[in-house]
Amino acid sequence: MSSEPYNDVVRGLFGAPAHAGDLNGGITVYVADQGMRIALSTRLSQGNIGALRFRAWGCPHFIAAAEVFCMDFEGRPAADLAGFSTSEIMQTLSVPVEKTGRILVLEDAVRSLGQRVRDRSDPDQGRQ
Amino acid sequence: MMSSNNEILYLDYAATTPVDKRVAEVMASLITIDGDFANPSSTHKAGRRSTAHVEQAADRLASLLNCQARDLIWTSGATESDNLAIAGAAAYRANRGKHLITMPTEHNAVRDVFRALENQGYEVTWLAPDESGLLNMDAFEAALRIDTQLVSIMHVNNETGVTQDIAAIGERCRRHDVLFHVDAAQAVGKLPLDLATLPVDLMSMTAHKLYGPKGVGALYIADRPDCHIEPLLFGGGQQRGLRPGTLPVHLIAAFGQAAAIAADSMARDLEHLTSLRDRLWQGIRDVPGIVRNGDADASFPAILNVSVDDIEGESLLLALEPLCVATGSACNSHDQEPSAVLRALGRSDELAQSAVRFSFGRPTSAADVDFAARRYCGAIDRLRALAPQQPA
Repeated sequence: MSSEPYNDVVRGLFGAPAHAGDLNGGITVYVADQGMRIALSTRLSQGNIGALRFRAWGCPHFIAAAEVFCMDFEGRPAADLAGFSTSEIMQTLSVPVEKTGRILVLEDAVRSLGQRVRDRSDPDQGRQ
Repeated sequence: MMSSNNEILYLDYAATTPVDKRVAEVMASLITIDGDFANPSSTHKAGRRSTAHVEQAADRLASLLNCQARDLIWTSGATESDNLAIAGAAAYRANRGKHLITMPTEHNAVRDVFRALENQGYEVTWLAPDESGLLNMDAFEAALRIDTQLVSIMHVNNETGVTQDIAAIGERCRRHDVLFHVDAAQAVGKLPLDLATLPVDLMSMTAHKLYGPKGVGALYIADRPDCHIEPLLFGGGQQRGLRPGTLPVHLIAAFGQAAAIAADSMARDLEHLTSLRDRLWQGIRDVPGIVRNGDADASFPAILNVSVDDIEGESLLLALEPLCVATGSACNSHDQEPSAVLRALGRSDELAQSAVRFSFGRPTSAADVDFAARRYCGAIDRLRALAPQQPA
């Protein structure tokens, strides 16, 4: 077991999260759970995720995880949001197992964002 | 003072201090074939020379505390001293009664001994502090009973720096014929202590909080009728059988040297530490939502403990790097609960987990404190800017 609680990736992303912020006019979701709080915003471009931004209140792993998600998903098809899983992020960031619940809050937020994106793309959904 | 590699700014002197170079020289001179390394229990000449170092150290520590050298027992540190004092005194007086008094704001080394004694059938009254961290003297007086045998209240709280009035507490203990133990790990060598006049029966201390080495401490046992303890260790008979085991001469001599230096520099240190603490507080007091933990008027100058609204403690600690400070965040300590001390002061879990303890030492400069203040304010601003607003 390392005495160092954060790997270099966490330190780098926590120290300079390039995707921190808001997107005016974008689709935004907010989730608060497990003592963590996160807002994700996206702007779509021809069915793809044109831009992603986040705001987060939580531990360094949680903030770094939000940044990893934004980095990875910008430019990808919006439909990919539905398949988001935190397992790769957990590995990349060497998240301690006791923090799994916190990182799953990000997963909830991404799923919620995916749902909002689908609702926006298919305004008739839910009327039947 | 930044470390030599400029990667850290150490502001955690309440956790431990670096060994003073003059102390390290004494220690190094007593462990090799060229020095007085012999077992002080040996009766030959080399052993007697080692004994002389132990006796000189006891004289130096006794001089610092204004007590008799024979009233000091060497231990491995304050934790062992606390265990020996509390469990030893409780055992010695068990046939008279099994009621004990302490506070939930004590160090774990005290709290956990009382919990163990509770499991052995002792009854412990845990006196909550007021919101400033101080003992309520009326509640204390009311808690004293005919069967009370021991009271243990620390002098300077290691987390908040709150300083209890041990003279007043001890006076009440004497009136009720109750032994009074003081964990003075944070106070010895930093605050003037006169054991010739203070009504204290047992006092725990350690070298590594006053620029001495880790691994050595002492327990003061007042030379008074009925002030006795049972030993916890057996074998060898050293130190009147109260704490047997071969004495680590190099550590004890180093403790003595650290005590002598502390006696010489205490007034200067106190002035220096007070100015640093006040300077840091001035630098951060305008941060929105900041609260100072512990009574500002009854607080030890080397410690400043603050909490702040709506900041996650673990992220704060990382954002504060290269500052080395202590935190109330559970994720960065071995304890998975927010600080019991801060909760006892009535702080919410959220405020307790955002707590940061800055503690200063002789090497700390005004420039260090100014850097720390800027770093703290900047970290709070950055984390707040990163936080989401709850939707309306």
